[in-house]
Amino acid sequence: MNIVYRTDAPALEAVNLTKRYDDDVLALDHVSFAIEPGQIYALLGGNGAGKTTAINLFLNFIEPTDGEARINGIVTHREPLKAKAHVAYVSENVMLYANFTAMQNLDFFARLGGQTSYTRSDYHDMLYRVGLAEEFHNKKLREFSKGMRQKCGIAIAMLKNAPAILLDEPTSGLDPKAGRDFIELLKSLKDENRAILMSTHDIFRAKEVADVVAIMNHGRLIMQKRASELAHQDLESLYMQYIGGHNNGEPSEGGTDAENAD
Amino acid sequence: MLGTLINKELRSIILSPKFTGTFLVCSILILLSVYTGIREYRILKARYDANDLLVSQELQQATSWAHLSTRVYREPEPLQIFASGLDYDIGRWTAIASDSGVKMKHSAYADDPIFAVFRFLDFSFITRFILTLFAILFTYNAVSGEREDGMLKLVFANSVSRAKCIIGKFVGSWLGLVVPITIPILLGILLLSVYGITLSSAEWLRLLLLLLYSLALFTFFIGLGIMISSLCRRSSVSFLISLVAWVMLVMIIPRIGVMAAGHIVEVPRVTDIESRLSSYAQSKWDEFNKASSKRWENYDEESDDNTGDESAEVAVLDEEALWKIIEREDSLSTEVEKDISRYEMKLQEDLRQRKIRQERLAYSLARISPVAAYQFGAMSLAGTGAEIKTRYENAAADFRNRFNDHVEMQKRETGDLGRMVVSVAIDDEGNKSTSSVGGRETGELDLDGLPKFTPPRPILAEAVAPTVIDFGLLVLFSLIVFAGATAAFMRYDMR
Repeated sequence: MNIVYRTDAPALEAVNLTKRYDDDVLALDHVSFAIEPGQIYALLGGNGAGKTTAINLFLNFIEPTDGEARINGIVTHREPLKAKAHVAYVSENVMLYANFTAMQNLDFFARLGGQTSYTRSDYHDMLYRVGLAEEFHNKKLREFSKGMRQKCGIAIAMLKNAPAILLDEPTSGLDPKAGRDFIELLKSLKDENRAILMSTHDIFRAKEVADVVAIMNHGRLIMQKRASELAHQDLESLYMQYIGGHNNGEPSEGGTDAENAD
Repeated sequence: MLGTLINKELRSIILSPKFTGTFLVCSILILLSVYTGIREYRILKARYDANDLLVSQELQQATSWAHLSTRVYREPEPLQIFASGLDYDIGRWTAIASDSGVKMKHSAYADDPIFAVFRFLDFSFITRFILTLFAILFTYNAVSGEREDGMLKLVFANSVSRAKCIIGKFVGSWLGLVVPITIPILLGILLLSVYGITLSSAEWLRLLLLLLYSLALFTFFIGLGIMISSLCRRSSVSFLISLVAWVMLVMIIPRIGVMAAGHIVEVPRVTDIESRLSSYAQSKWDEFNKASSKRWENYDEESDDNTGDESAEVAVLDEEALWKIIEREDSLSTEVEKDISRYEMKLQEDLRQRKIRQERLAYSLARISPVAAYQFGAMSLAGTGAEIKTRYENAAADFRNRFNDHVEMQKRETGDLGRMVVSVAIDDEGNKSTSSVGGRETGELDLDGLPKFTPPRPILAEAVAPTVIDFGLLVLFSLIVFAGATAAFMRYDMR
């Protein structure tokens, strides 16, 4: 399946996306952003900031209280199956099926994603591409380290050939070498014109690879800046400044920086 | 898509390390149970054949129709190899004689109580206790475990509907567990041929149904495991709940059903029945004696009034009146005996009806558990249920009647009455002559017309009909857990 891009709509788009849970916790408060093909969008924020909630809404694991999440222009909670055909996902802790080999995991998820034409050679190529040595291709996942499982997860996401990719804390727990390899992989995906939404705690990698960096706190998008705007700024200081200054997610005068971005 | 999901479930079960161990244990147990069942059946069959031969020889050696008796042995059922049911609890033979009723006695467990403590391991036992646990162990984390591993999110990041996913889990788990288990079952059936156990076509069909029922119970527990897993967020919790549910369904509910029935329908004990009968009889006899004394007093008074008249005519009248009174007293006494007998029959009938009601209620309540429904169905199909006792006792009672009728007829025809009546006659001249009737014959008896006992084998319809409800319940329970699993999974929070 070839990647299908729509030119009239962003690959990923949140429009006033709001989620209030049954226990009245406001997890996401009118968040809006758009990610174009070939763009990496990094969502920074502490635990409970709302990053994973945003991703869960894009995948329709939960339904929004208000607003919409759109993939390739398709509203996810209205047409979830159709929308999910255009998105791949890599979770924070990629466990995969421990009793399956890397090849078997790839085969299962490729078929699940509707890709039935792949051969074993394609799976080998993909595993090479994500940096998994050949000796592990036919080994069961229970023997894999977290970094190796993460590579498999990324290979699975790439096999789907989707125009949009959602990454939930993808570098969490990876060693520096694996983290470096992952960044290189992200860049190659970006070169393939894929839209990537990445939630992360890793400020430095976010700055290195993202086209747009956004900071979330208490469910609100409190800062959104292009990489070019951050080129001469210390993102860590900025992050601390925003998190400290907007502890309650209160907008600054004249609206939040998120509203002012772009 | 569905095929991919089913294939994944199937492979994740078969490729799991616990599968190899559990499958091996189950296979060994199934084969061992069939082998043990075959061995026991062959021993019982050999014993039965030997006893049957012994009974024939005893009859052939008999020289008198008087007090001719025999024994009827219960023929072992070949399907008890798979579901022994109550076979070892019910008596193996009954005496057939004119002076004793029919009662199956000397059960295997009565003769060797140690086997009752550690009951025989048969296929139905393994299905109820081992395979059901096997099903739970492989399905308790089907949903909750995948949520914990983040696999649900990964799967549902694709265009997969929840309905397809739960169907995939159910079908995949079923194939992954049922197909491997059928291998040792088929090997077990093969053992029948190896050991020369022959089954009739009806018995083959009953065996096939028994295996189908076993799969239905297995299916229920697969569904139950998936349902509980779909209701829990953590696999540790779903494991605990599954285990509690298993204990309740396998161990507790069937017993509670029987205990509850015991409380709801009270059945008097034998001693209570005897005590009530004794009280009733005592009161009736007291009443009779009192009335009788009164009647005798009246007679004495009437008799005293006539003492002045010494004529022979009056004396004859007195004697006639006395005989009339004696006859009337005798008749009244017989009435009292009949009344007491009727009361006893009423008590026995009441006891029987209460027992039937209690038994039916116990069965109905126990059937809340699919395990009990399976057990009842399996026993009925194997011909080793509670009805085996009634079936044999009825057949034996019928045989006893025919046997005794024939013996009585032979006694009359041959004059072999079992007693010798010696008559002494003295003629007018004072000469004595003796004659005897019913003397012991010494020759062999003509046994050609003597009825032979035919073991009451259950016909297919009789064996299958009572199990229809049980099978229906198993299917219903399976549908309920599948519907429950689907409903729970459709709302499952997979984060």
